[in-house]
Amino acid sequence: MNQRARWHVRDIILLALIGILFGVIFLGTNFIYDGLTVALTPVGLAPLANDISMGLWIMAGPLAGFMLRIPGAGFLGEFLAAVGEMFFGGQWGASTMISGAIQGVAIELGFTLTGYRFYNWITLLLTTLTSTVGTFAWDMFRNGYAAFSPKMLFLLLVVRFISIFFFGGILVKLITSLLERSHVLHR
Amino acid sequence: MNASLKLLLVLLISLEVSFTQSLSANLILITGSLFYLMIHKTSFRSLLLLGVVPFLPALGLFVTIYYFSPDHDLHFAWVLFTRMYVYVTAGASFTLTSTPLDLALSLEQNWHLPSKFAYGTLAAFNMLPKIKSAIVTIRTAGLMRGIVLSWWSPQLYFKAILVALNWSENLAQAMISHGFVEDQPRTFYRQIKITIIDYSMLIVIILAIQLPIWLLP
Repeated sequence: MNQRARWHVRDIILLALIGILFGVIFLGTNFIYDGLTVALTPVGLAPLANDISMGLWIMAGPLAGFMLRIPGAGFLGEFLAAVGEMFFGGQWGASTMISGAIQGVAIELGFTLTGYRFYNWITLLLTTLTSTVGTFAWDMFRNGYAAFSPKMLFLLLVVRFISIFFFGGILVKLITSLLERSHVLHR
Repeated sequence: MNASLKLLLVLLISLEVSFTQSLSANLILITGSLFYLMIHKTSFRSLLLLGVVPFLPALGLFVTIYYFSPDHDLHFAWVLFTRMYVYVTAGASFTLTSTPLDLALSLEQNWHLPSKFAYGTLAAFNMLPKIKSAIVTIRTAGLMRGIVLSWWSPQLYFKAILVALNWSENLAQAMISHGFVEDQPRTFYRQIKITIIDYSMLIVIILAIQLPIWLLP
Protein backbone atom coordinates (compact mmCIF):
# COMPACT_ATOMS: atom_id res chain seq x y z
CA MET A 1 0.00 0.00 0.00
CA ASN A 2 1.05 3.54 -0.60
CA GLN A 3 3.25 5.04 2.09
CA ARG A 4 1.57 8.43 2.14
CA ALA A 5 -1.90 6.95 2.27
CA ARG A 6 -3.41 10.06 3.81
CA TRP A 7 -5.58 12.73 2.31
CA HIS A 8 -4.05 16.14 1.85
CA VAL A 9 -5.86 19.22 0.70
CA ARG A 10 -3.82 19.12 -2.52
CA ASP A 11 -5.14 15.63 -3.39
CA ILE A 12 -8.70 16.63 -2.60
CA ILE A 13 -8.51 19.66 -4.87
CA LEU A 14 -6.93 17.52 -7.59
CA LEU A 15 -9.71 14.92 -7.42
CA ALA A 16 -12.43 17.54 -7.52
CA LEU A 17 -10.71 19.30 -10.44
CA ILE A 18 -10.47 16.02 -12.37
CA GLY A 19 -14.13 15.34 -11.69
CA ILE A 20 -15.10 18.75 -13.02
CA LEU A 21 -12.77 18.43 -16.03
CA PHE A 22 -14.44 15.20 -17.00
CA GLY A 23 -17.83 16.78 -16.46
CA VAL A 24 -16.93 19.64 -18.79
CA ILE A 25 -15.64 17.31 -21.51
CA PHE A 26 -18.77 15.17 -21.24
CA LEU A 27 -21.17 18.10 -21.39
CA GLY A 28 -20.10 18.13 -25.02
CA THR A 29 -20.98 14.46 -25.34
CA ASN A 30 -24.54 14.72 -24.04
CA PHE A 31 -25.69 14.97 -27.65
CA ILE A 32 -24.31 11.45 -28.17
CA TYR A 33 -26.54 10.07 -25.43
CA ASP A 34 -29.56 12.01 -26.67
CA GLY A 35 -28.86 11.06 -30.28
CA LEU A 36 -28.54 7.40 -29.33
CA THR A 37 -31.81 7.60 -27.40
CA VAL A 38 -33.61 9.08 -30.39
CA ALA A 39 -32.15 6.49 -32.73
CA LEU A 40 -32.85 3.53 -30.45
CA THR A 41 -36.34 4.44 -29.20
CA PRO A 42 -38.28 3.28 -32.30
CA VAL A 43 -36.69 -0.19 -32.09
CA GLY A 44 -37.38 -0.46 -28.35
CA LEU A 45 -33.75 -0.33 -27.27
CA ALA A 46 -33.68 3.16 -25.73
CA PRO A 47 -32.08 1.94 -22.45
CA LEU A 48 -29.11 0.77 -24.53
CA ALA A 49 -28.07 4.43 -24.81
CA ASN A 50 -27.63 4.40 -21.04
CA ASP A 51 -25.42 1.31 -21.17
CA ILE A 52 -23.35 2.55 -24.11
CA SER A 53 -22.59 5.83 -22.31
CA MET A 54 -21.97 4.21 -18.91
CA GLY A 55 -18.22 3.86 -19.51
CA LEU A 56 -17.89 7.60 -20.08
CA TRP A 57 -19.70 8.42 -16.86
CA ILE A 58 -17.58 6.22 -14.64
CA MET A 59 -14.16 7.17 -16.08
CA ALA A 60 -13.27 9.61 -13.30
CA GLY A 61 -13.31 6.87 -10.65
CA PRO A 62 -10.78 4.37 -12.06
CA LEU A 63 -8.57 7.24 -13.21
CA ALA A 64 -8.52 8.80 -9.73
CA GLY A 65 -7.76 5.40 -8.19
CA PHE A 66 -4.85 4.81 -10.57
CA MET A 67 -3.42 8.31 -10.22
CA LEU A 68 -3.49 8.73 -6.45
CA ARG A 69 -3.31 5.11 -5.28
CA ILE A 70 -4.85 5.97 -1.91
CA PRO A 71 -7.70 3.82 -0.56
CA GLY A 72 -10.92 5.72 -1.21
CA ALA A 73 -9.60 7.66 -4.22
CA GLY A 74 -11.76 5.70 -6.66
CA PHE A 75 -14.88 6.42 -4.67
CA LEU A 76 -14.10 10.06 -4.01
CA GLY A 77 -13.11 10.80 -7.61
CA GLU A 78 -16.38 9.41 -8.92
CA PHE A 79 -18.52 10.94 -6.19
CA LEU A 80 -17.05 14.44 -6.53
CA ALA A 81 -17.53 14.27 -10.28
CA ALA A 82 -21.21 13.51 -9.68
CA VAL A 83 -21.60 16.34 -7.16
CA GLY A 84 -20.00 18.71 -9.64
CA GLU A 85 -22.30 17.51 -12.39
CA MET A 86 -25.33 18.00 -10.16
CA PHE A 87 -24.45 21.62 -9.44
CA PHE A 88 -23.52 22.53 -12.98
CA GLY A 89 -26.66 21.50 -14.75
CA GLY A 90 -26.53 17.76 -15.23
CA GLN A 91 -29.39 15.99 -16.93
CA TRP A 92 -30.36 13.89 -13.94
CA GLY A 93 -30.75 16.22 -10.99
CA ALA A 94 -30.50 14.75 -7.51
CA SER A 95 -30.24 11.16 -8.65
CA THR A 96 -26.81 12.03 -10.11
CA MET A 97 -25.48 12.14 -6.59
CA ILE A 98 -27.00 8.78 -5.66
CA SER A 99 -25.75 7.21 -8.90
CA GLY A 100 -22.33 8.78 -8.25
CA ALA A 101 -22.16 7.25 -4.79
CA ILE A 102 -23.19 3.82 -6.10
CA GLN A 103 -20.75 3.98 -9.01
CA GLY A 104 -18.04 5.14 -6.61
CA VAL A 105 -18.58 2.27 -4.21
CA ALA A 106 -18.68 -0.22 -7.10
CA ILE A 107 -15.39 1.08 -8.54
CA GLU A 108 -13.71 1.24 -5.14
CA LEU A 109 -14.67 -2.39 -4.55
CA GLY A 110 -12.51 -3.36 -7.54
CA PHE A 111 -9.50 -1.66 -5.98
CA THR A 112 -10.30 -3.18 -2.59
CA LEU A 113 -10.24 -6.67 -4.10
CA THR A 114 -6.58 -6.12 -5.04
CA GLY A 115 -5.85 -5.05 -1.46
CA TYR A 116 -4.48 -1.79 -2.99
CA ARG A 117 -1.27 -3.71 -3.71
CA PHE A 118 -1.05 -3.75 -7.49
CA TYR A 119 -2.29 -1.48 -10.24
CA ASN A 120 -2.33 -3.23 -13.61
CA TRP A 121 -4.71 -4.81 -16.12
CA ILE A 122 -6.08 -7.18 -13.49
CA THR A 123 -7.06 -4.17 -11.39
CA LEU A 124 -8.80 -2.61 -14.38
CA LEU A 125 -10.61 -5.84 -15.13
CA LEU A 126 -11.75 -6.06 -11.50
CA THR A 127 -12.99 -2.45 -11.37
CA THR A 128 -14.77 -3.02 -14.70
CA LEU A 129 -16.48 -6.11 -13.31
CA THR A 130 -17.51 -4.56 -10.00
CA SER A 131 -18.75 -1.34 -11.58
CA THR A 132 -20.70 -3.23 -14.27
CA VAL A 133 -22.48 -5.35 -11.69
CA GLY A 134 -22.98 -2.51 -9.19
CA THR A 135 -24.42 0.02 -11.62
CA PHE A 136 -26.55 -2.62 -13.30
CA ALA A 137 -28.13 -3.63 -10.01
CA TRP A 138 -29.00 0.02 -9.35
CA ASP A 139 -30.57 0.38 -12.81
CA MET A 140 -32.78 -2.64 -12.13
CA PHE A 141 -34.70 -0.26 -9.86
CA ARG A 142 -33.94 3.25 -11.05
CA ASN A 143 -34.58 2.71 -14.75
CA GLY A 144 -37.04 -0.14 -14.37
CA TYR A 145 -34.70 -2.72 -15.94
CA ALA A 146 -36.49 -5.40 -13.92
CA ALA A 147 -39.41 -5.19 -16.37
CA PHE A 148 -37.32 -6.20 -19.40
CA SER A 149 -37.03 -9.65 -20.92
CA PRO A 150 -33.97 -11.75 -19.96
CA LYS A 151 -32.62 -11.53 -23.53
CA MET A 152 -32.73 -7.73 -23.41
CA LEU A 153 -31.11 -7.68 -19.96
CA PHE A 154 -28.26 -9.86 -21.20
CA LEU A 155 -27.68 -7.55 -24.16
CA LEU A 156 -27.68 -4.49 -21.88
CA LEU A 157 -25.26 -6.14 -19.44
CA VAL A 158 -22.79 -7.13 -22.16
CA VAL A 159 -22.89 -3.70 -23.79
CA ARG A 160 -22.37 -2.05 -20.41
CA PHE A 161 -19.37 -4.26 -19.68
CA ILE A 162 -17.77 -3.43 -23.03
CA SER A 163 -18.41 0.27 -22.59
CA ILE A 164 -16.94 0.36 -19.08
CA PHE A 165 -13.98 -1.74 -20.19
CA PHE A 166 -13.27 0.56 -23.12
CA PHE A 167 -13.58 3.93 -21.35
CA GLY A 168 -12.87 3.00 -17.73
CA GLY A 169 -10.27 0.39 -18.69
CA ILE A 170 -8.42 0.93 -21.97
CA LEU A 171 -8.71 4.72 -22.10
CA VAL A 172 -7.80 5.10 -18.41
CA LYS A 173 -4.77 2.85 -18.94
CA LEU A 174 -3.65 4.94 -21.93
CA ILE A 175 -4.04 8.17 -19.95
CA THR A 176 -2.18 6.86 -16.90
CA SER A 177 0.68 5.50 -18.99
CA LEU A 178 1.05 8.95 -20.58
CA LEU A 179 1.21 10.37 -17.05
CA GLU A 180 3.73 7.73 -15.95
CA ARG A 181 5.98 8.42 -18.92
CA SER A 182 6.01 12.13 -18.19
CA HIS A 183 6.91 11.61 -14.50
CA VAL A 184 4.40 14.16 -13.25
CA LEU A 185 2.96 11.93 -10.53
CA HIS A 186 4.94 12.19 -7.31
CA ARG A 187 4.33 8.85 -5.69
CA MET B 1 -34.00 25.75 4.77
CA ASN B 2 -30.55 24.62 5.85
CA ALA B 3 -28.59 23.49 2.77
CA SER B 4 -27.44 20.09 3.97
CA LEU B 5 -30.89 19.18 5.35
CA LYS B 6 -32.45 20.25 2.05
CA LEU B 7 -30.00 18.00 0.21
CA LEU B 8 -30.80 15.15 2.59
CA LEU B 9 -34.51 15.63 1.94
CA VAL B 10 -34.02 15.62 -1.84
CA LEU B 11 -31.82 12.51 -1.66
CA LEU B 12 -34.30 10.65 0.56
CA ILE B 13 -37.17 11.49 -1.79
CA SER B 14 -35.16 10.46 -4.86
CA LEU B 15 -34.18 7.19 -3.21
CA GLU B 16 -37.70 6.38 -2.15
CA VAL B 17 -39.28 7.04 -5.56
CA SER B 18 -36.59 4.83 -7.14
CA PHE B 19 -37.88 1.85 -5.20
CA THR B 20 -41.63 2.55 -5.25
CA GLN B 21 -44.16 2.83 -8.06
CA SER B 22 -46.73 5.50 -7.31
CA LEU B 23 -47.70 7.74 -10.20
CA SER B 24 -49.74 10.14 -8.05
CA ALA B 25 -46.89 10.56 -5.57
CA ASN B 26 -44.57 11.41 -8.47
CA LEU B 27 -47.01 14.04 -9.77
CA ILE B 28 -47.42 15.54 -6.29
CA LEU B 29 -43.64 15.71 -5.88
CA ILE B 30 -43.17 17.37 -9.27
CA THR B 31 -45.89 19.94 -8.51
CA GLY B 32 -44.47 20.58 -5.05
CA SER B 33 -40.94 21.08 -6.40
CA LEU B 34 -42.12 23.43 -9.14
CA PHE B 35 -44.14 25.40 -6.57
CA TYR B 36 -41.07 25.65 -4.32
CA LEU B 37 -38.98 26.85 -7.25
CA MET B 38 -41.58 29.49 -8.15
CA ILE B 39 -41.64 30.87 -4.60
CA HIS B 40 -37.90 31.26 -4.92
CA LYS B 41 -38.38 33.32 -8.09
CA THR B 42 -36.71 30.90 -10.48
CA SER B 43 -36.66 32.36 -13.98
CA PHE B 44 -39.17 31.07 -16.51
CA ARG B 45 -36.29 30.01 -18.74
CA SER B 46 -34.80 27.67 -16.10
CA LEU B 47 -38.22 26.15 -15.44
CA LEU B 48 -38.70 25.54 -19.15
CA LEU B 49 -35.27 23.92 -19.33
CA LEU B 50 -36.31 21.53 -16.53
CA GLY B 51 -39.17 20.41 -18.73
CA VAL B 52 -37.03 19.92 -21.83
CA VAL B 53 -33.88 18.31 -20.44
CA PRO B 54 -35.29 14.98 -19.16
CA PHE B 55 -37.85 14.64 -21.95
CA LEU B 56 -35.84 12.44 -24.33
CA PRO B 57 -34.59 9.88 -21.78
CA ALA B 58 -38.03 9.79 -20.13
CA LEU B 59 -39.74 9.22 -23.48
CA GLY B 60 -37.21 6.54 -24.40
CA LEU B 61 -37.96 4.64 -21.19
CA PHE B 62 -41.71 5.07 -21.64
CA VAL B 63 -41.68 3.67 -25.18
CA THR B 64 -39.42 0.76 -24.22
CA ILE B 65 -41.53 -0.26 -21.25
CA TYR B 66 -44.94 0.22 -22.86
CA TYR B 67 -44.32 -1.12 -26.36
CA PHE B 68 -41.36 -3.47 -26.03
CA SER B 69 -41.31 -5.01 -22.53
CA PRO B 70 -43.05 -8.38 -22.02
CA ASP B 71 -45.88 -6.93 -19.86
CA HIS B 72 -46.72 -3.71 -21.79
CA ASP B 73 -47.41 -2.10 -18.43
CA LEU B 74 -48.80 1.42 -19.08
CA HIS B 75 -48.87 2.39 -15.41
CA PHE B 76 -45.22 1.43 -14.89
CA ALA B 77 -44.29 3.27 -18.10
CA TRP B 78 -45.86 6.46 -16.74
CA VAL B 79 -44.21 5.91 -13.36
CA LEU B 80 -40.78 5.78 -15.02
CA PHE B 81 -41.60 8.79 -17.22
CA THR B 82 -42.60 10.94 -14.25
CA ARG B 83 -39.78 9.55 -12.10
CA MET B 84 -37.24 11.27 -14.37
CA TYR B 85 -39.07 14.54 -13.75
CA VAL B 86 -39.12 13.96 -9.98
CA TYR B 87 -35.34 13.54 -10.03
CA VAL B 88 -34.79 16.69 -12.03
CA THR B 89 -37.33 19.00 -10.36
CA ALA B 90 -36.47 17.84 -6.83
CA GLY B 91 -32.78 18.15 -7.64
CA ALA B 92 -33.32 21.63 -9.04
CA SER B 93 -35.17 22.72 -5.89
CA PHE B 94 -31.86 22.10 -4.19
CA THR B 95 -29.29 23.20 -6.78
CA LEU B 96 -31.13 26.31 -7.98
CA THR B 97 -31.75 27.60 -4.44
CA SER B 98 -28.46 26.75 -2.70
CA THR B 99 -24.85 27.41 -3.64
CA PRO B 100 -21.88 25.06 -3.23
CA LEU B 101 -20.66 27.49 -0.55
CA ASP B 102 -23.86 27.08 1.52
CA LEU B 103 -23.51 23.33 1.32
CA ALA B 104 -19.79 23.26 2.16
CA LEU B 105 -20.25 25.54 5.18
CA SER B 106 -23.22 23.56 6.44
CA LEU B 107 -21.50 20.19 6.01
CA GLU B 108 -18.43 21.47 7.82
CA GLN B 109 -20.22 23.15 10.73
CA ASN B 110 -23.28 20.94 11.19
CA TRP B 111 -21.97 17.53 10.20
CA HIS B 112 -18.26 17.85 11.05
CA LEU B 113 -16.94 17.21 7.57
CA PRO B 114 -13.15 17.77 7.82
CA SER B 115 -12.41 21.32 6.68
CA LYS B 116 -9.87 20.11 4.10
CA PHE B 117 -12.68 18.35 2.24
CA ALA B 118 -15.09 21.27 2.53
CA TYR B 119 -12.68 23.94 1.35
CA GLY B 120 -10.68 21.72 -0.99
CA THR B 121 -13.68 20.80 -3.12
CA LEU B 122 -15.05 24.33 -2.87
CA ALA B 123 -11.76 25.70 -4.21
CA ALA B 124 -11.97 23.31 -7.15
CA PHE B 125 -15.64 24.04 -7.90
CA ASN B 126 -14.94 27.74 -8.01
CA MET B 127 -12.46 27.11 -10.83
CA LEU B 128 -15.21 25.90 -13.17
CA PRO B 129 -15.15 28.87 -15.58
CA LYS B 130 -11.35 28.60 -15.84
CA ILE B 131 -11.59 24.86 -16.43
CA LYS B 132 -13.97 25.41 -19.32
CA SER B 133 -11.63 27.89 -20.95
CA ALA B 134 -8.61 25.64 -20.28
CA ILE B 135 -10.22 22.83 -22.27
CA VAL B 136 -11.05 25.18 -25.12
CA THR B 137 -7.42 26.36 -25.07
CA ILE B 138 -6.05 22.80 -25.18
CA ARG B 139 -8.27 21.90 -28.11
CA THR B 140 -7.48 25.09 -30.01
CA ALA B 141 -3.75 24.65 -29.42
CA GLY B 142 -4.08 21.17 -30.89
CA LEU B 143 -5.98 22.43 -33.91
CA MET B 144 -3.27 25.01 -34.60
CA ARG B 145 -0.85 22.13 -35.06
CA GLY B 146 -3.37 20.25 -37.16
CA ILE B 147 -4.26 17.77 -34.38
CA VAL B 148 -7.90 17.16 -33.54
CA LEU B 149 -8.30 16.27 -29.86
CA SER B 150 -11.68 14.58 -29.57
CA TRP B 151 -13.32 13.41 -26.37
CA TRP B 152 -11.98 9.90 -26.73
CA SER B 153 -8.34 10.86 -27.26
CA PRO B 154 -6.07 10.15 -24.26
CA GLN B 155 -3.99 13.23 -25.11
CA LEU B 156 -6.90 15.55 -24.31
CA TYR B 157 -7.33 14.03 -20.87
CA PHE B 158 -3.58 13.90 -20.31
CA LYS B 159 -3.20 17.61 -21.02
CA ALA B 160 -6.25 18.48 -18.94
CA ILE B 161 -4.85 16.46 -16.02
CA LEU B 162 -1.53 18.29 -16.30
CA VAL B 163 -3.46 21.53 -15.91
CA ALA B 164 -5.34 20.08 -12.92
CA LEU B 165 -2.10 18.93 -11.26
CA ASN B 166 -0.67 22.40 -11.65
CA TRP B 167 -3.75 24.17 -10.33
CA SER B 168 -4.23 21.84 -7.38
CA GLU B 169 -0.67 22.55 -6.30
CA ASN B 170 -1.18 26.31 -6.69
CA LEU B 171 -4.55 26.35 -4.92
CA ALA B 172 -3.20 24.28 -2.02
CA GLN B 173 -0.21 26.63 -1.71
CA ALA B 174 -2.53 29.63 -1.82
CA MET B 175 -4.74 28.19 0.92
CA ILE B 176 -1.74 27.39 3.13
CA SER B 177 -0.27 30.84 2.64
CA HIS B 178 -3.61 32.31 3.72
CA GLY B 179 -3.31 30.47 7.01
CA PHE B 180 -5.22 27.26 6.25
CA VAL B 181 -3.84 24.37 8.30
CA GLU B 182 -5.19 20.85 7.77
CA ASP B 183 -6.90 19.13 10.68
CA GLN B 184 -6.77 22.17 12.96
CA PRO B 185 -9.85 23.54 14.75
CA ARG B 186 -11.33 26.59 13.05
CA THR B 187 -13.63 29.41 14.11
CA PHE B 188 -16.40 30.63 11.84
CA TYR B 189 -17.27 34.11 10.73
CA ARG B 190 -20.48 32.95 9.08
CA GLN B 191 -22.24 30.60 11.46
CA ILE B 192 -24.66 28.06 10.02
CA LYS B 193 -27.27 26.62 12.35
CA ILE B 194 -29.89 23.94 11.93
CA THR B 195 -33.06 25.22 13.57
CA ILE B 196 -35.99 23.28 14.91
CA ILE B 197 -37.98 24.55 11.89
CA ASP B 198 -35.49 22.88 9.52
CA TYR B 199 -35.85 19.57 11.29
CA SER B 200 -39.64 19.77 11.46
CA MET B 201 -39.87 20.66 7.75
CA LEU B 202 -37.75 17.63 6.89
CA ILE B 203 -39.83 15.29 9.03
CA VAL B 204 -43.22 16.70 8.00
CA ILE B 205 -42.44 16.53 4.26
CA ILE B 206 -41.07 12.99 4.52
CA LEU B 207 -44.10 11.83 6.51
CA ALA B 208 -46.58 13.63 4.25
CA ILE B 209 -45.21 11.98 1.12
CA GLN B 210 -45.50 8.47 2.57
CA LEU B 211 -49.31 8.58 2.23
CA PRO B 212 -49.51 8.93 -1.56
CA ILE B 213 -46.45 6.75 -2.11
CA TRP B 214 -47.90 3.76 -0.30
CA LEU B 215 -51.68 4.29 -0.66
CA LEU B 216 -52.29 5.82 -4.10
CA PRO B 217 -51.43 4.07 -7.41
